[in-house]
Amino acid sequence: MRTIMVVIAAVALAACSKSGSDKSATPRDKVLEAWKAGKIEPTAMAAAQVAVGKDCQSGRVEAIDVLICNFASPAEAKAAEDAGLAWVGQATGASQARGPALVVVADRKKSDPNGRLINSLLKLAPP
Amino acid sequence: MILAVGALGLAAGPALAGNAKQVRYIGIHPLPKAEGGGICYIEGPHVHIYGLSGDSDKLQYRDHHGANYFVGDPVAYGYDGERYAYKGHHPIHVAAVVGDDDPADVYCYINGPHFHYFAPPEGPDFKLAGDAYFYVGEPPRAYVEARPAMMKINAVYQPLVYTRPVVEIDAPVGWIGARAEFVAPAVVVAPPAAAIVAPRAGVSVEAHIPAPSLHVEVGIGLPGVVVHERPAVIVRERPVIIQERVRVKHDNGRHRGHWK
Repeated sequence: MRTIMVVIAAVALAACSKSGSDKSATPRDKVLEAWKAGKIEPTAMAAAQVAVGKDCQSGRVEAIDVLICNFASPAEAKAAEDAGLAWVGQATGASQARGPALVVVADRKKSDPNGRLINSLLKLAPP
Repeated sequence: MILAVGALGLAAGPALAGNAKQVRYIGIHPLPKAEGGGICYIEGPHVHIYGLSGDSDKLQYRDHHGANYFVGDPVAYGYDGERYAYKGHHPIHVAAVVGDDDPADVYCYINGPHFHYFAPPEGPDFKLAGDAYFYVGEPPRAYVEARPAMMKINAVYQPLVYTRPVVEIDAPVGWIGARAEFVAPAVVVAPPAAAIVAPRAGVSVEAHIPAPSLHVEVGIGLPGVVVHERPAVIVRERPVIIQERVRVKHDNGRHRGHWK
């Protein structure tokens, strides 16, 4: 009986721990995790002071500039898409809300002329 | 639709510092030769700093909420991804392709076999025969009204040499390409003789009559052809096209859009 109780307690503890971990993952973390799961490894993301949002980080995937911002709601992320395009500037790029995250990519070095990498980044980002 | 087409080229994004303006696109599309040609494989909404140019682009793109949406055959421009064969004109349910909720359709006016990178949605409007989709639905007024202008897209594709799908099976009953109202008035065919009269300027006519079945195609873009009272007529004004049988993939209409 004691053994059963111990097992139940351990399972419950593990479940709580897992749940707590999910809650701590921000929308940006989920995008980065999805990219890594798709074998796409971005450079270290650094805090970015941009007009797109208050909680943004930028980095690179190969030669593609990426910006990922957290918002309080999907609606706020969606509303920031145009600001994301302004961050893209004079380049091929995209700015798409993924839930409460905004994913912005810009190919300023014309390293992805057929857009295959950009397409992968956008398709891998969780909805 | 005509108004929407007229709006093409105005699909500009946010104003930016500098000279180049962003132009919005949605879905895959050919790249301009000046940008190296080929295909842009970005399936969702995106921007470039170049826009459409020339009459051929006006025929190959439709406006979708301010973004340019390509309705042509991407294989003609080097697309090497998943593809689906169609024969003749048909609607395109853009929402199913790009994953948004706009129910408006646009229309493809390419004659004969061609490819798209999406399958049509499930339903009675399309029939799959011989590995190709045939539109057998009732075309709406928007299709009919834009047809005279949009048929010119065939003059864009006629000289392009690429591997088109080979569709040899008889078209299903109700196929839009065999309906008299979409063949007349330039062509009148009365079996067993083909009487093709009153050709319009700039119209090419192709008539095959493998009795007892009857098949007629009409395209625009080549000098007119007059054919009178012959039991069987095959008139061709086409460049040599290398055709190979190609494998096409089907998902039986379960397609839900590509980019999400």
